[in-house]
Amino acid sequence: MVHVFAYRDKRYIYDTGSGSLHECDEKTARYLSGDSSEITDEEIRGILAEVGRLREEGLFEKEETSVRPVKSGEIKALCLHVSHDCNLRCRYCFADEGAYHSVREVMTRETARAAIDFLLRESGSRKVLEVDFFGGEPLMNFDVVKDTVRYAKEEGAKLGKRFLFTTTTNGLLLDDETISFLNEEMENVVLSLDGRREVHDAVRKTISGKGSFDAVIEKIKKFVRVRGDKHYYVRGTFTAKNLDFSQDVLFLADQGFDSISMEPVVTDIPDLQIRREHLPIIEKEYELLCEEFLRREERGEGFGFFHFNIDLEGGPCLQKRVSACGAGNEYFSVVPNGDLYPCHQFAGDAKWKMGNVSEGRIDGALRAKFAESCLFTRKKCGDCFAKFICSGGCSANNYHYNGDIEEPYEMTCAMMKKRIECAMHILAERKCREK
Amino acid sequence: MIKTIAKPAEKKVTGCGECRSTCQSACKTSCTVGNQSCERVTREEKIERK
Repeated sequence: MVHVFAYRDKRYIYDTGSGSLHECDEKTARYLSGDSSEITDEEIRGILAEVGRLREEGLFEKEETSVRPVKSGEIKALCLHVSHDCNLRCRYCFADEGAYHSVREVMTRETARAAIDFLLRESGSRKVLEVDFFGGEPLMNFDVVKDTVRYAKEEGAKLGKRFLFTTTTNGLLLDDETISFLNEEMENVVLSLDGRREVHDAVRKTISGKGSFDAVIEKIKKFVRVRGDKHYYVRGTFTAKNLDFSQDVLFLADQGFDSISMEPVVTDIPDLQIRREHLPIIEKEYELLCEEFLRREERGEGFGFFHFNIDLEGGPCLQKRVSACGAGNEYFSVVPNGDLYPCHQFAGDAKWKMGNVSEGRIDGALRAKFAESCLFTRKKCGDCFAKFICSGGCSANNYHYNGDIEEPYEMTCAMMKKRIECAMHILAERKCREK
Repeated sequence: MIKTIAKPAEKKVTGCGECRSTCQSACKTSCTVGNQSCERVTREEKIERK
């Protein structure tokens, strides 16, 4: 399948089968899109010759893979909800401001250790395992985080396995001790910060109802300064209230953060929810961000933006690209009482409970559903150019918006496609600059 | 005029399963594989650089 698209005055061809990207002139783009008006016969012959050459090289209309992925049944990763409590009350929180529609509680040391034992047991031959400390706010249960890291490293070493830890935090409890520990032990740290003060404060409030920007900004800055070259993301959420979110990304870059992510809110709160009519504004916003991203990069003031970071020449293999997100099969969430869910976004919904780490048993039917799920079971993805890059999207989003993990949500898809086109334009501009 | 911007390198290994779980990325809501890397290739490149 060939996707021809325009980005400002540039024209691109993306071949889904080979994964290759080409830049072309306006007439070629029009011809390949079925419009041959004002294109001479000689020009058409030229276009066909070039297309023929690409086809011979396997870079145009290459047959797409239809081979279903082989899934091992080994568990790679756990998201440990060490705290179903939070010291913020963010309006848009998908996790019910930390409580996940249940009681506010934290995970005990024993449950966290049982989760590590469960992961080690279920990980088969896999040598590198991942554990994400999540919440609520995980640093509200810092002692259990520290104990779990120590325990996992010790037990893993006995079996020749190693752990990669990550933490997602709102930054409120960052101090010298937590910063030092996170920098020492965490492979990646995700810090929640929505951007400009007024944007952040409108939704990310303390328990007393005050905006939290001033309480976290210097702490997050200090953390990143100390972090050095280790991975981190400053991760924001945009809502219907800040559809000009490119300004928030640039604000974050201006604060010195060079690894930034900005995600659309997942909520049904009317004044915050992203709606269909917002889409043209959001698409334009990604373009504005893309332009400034490139300008800054050219000036030597570049920064990283998660969704513009696509590697067409390297990147994961095809098997990975068709395997879907992994939730409910190779990745699970563990809530404070040890119950297992497919991922953090299903946590607390009894319908999706898949077992408990202490039982060491996983619901076979539900797991089979997730194991079976892949790009090819998501029918809508069949004719989408982005499919081998997004892998069918987020199962939880699909379920929450469309009631079916296999039914991609159109809004998410549209935003994903726009971001991918921006990322491809960035690749082309970089290539041009290199020359 | 058509000029090639990017073409994927031939994969030496496919389906080894060493890659990270997709949902462990930064976003936690917009999981995507496109901005992940192949763990095995990354590791081998590191070894080669040494």
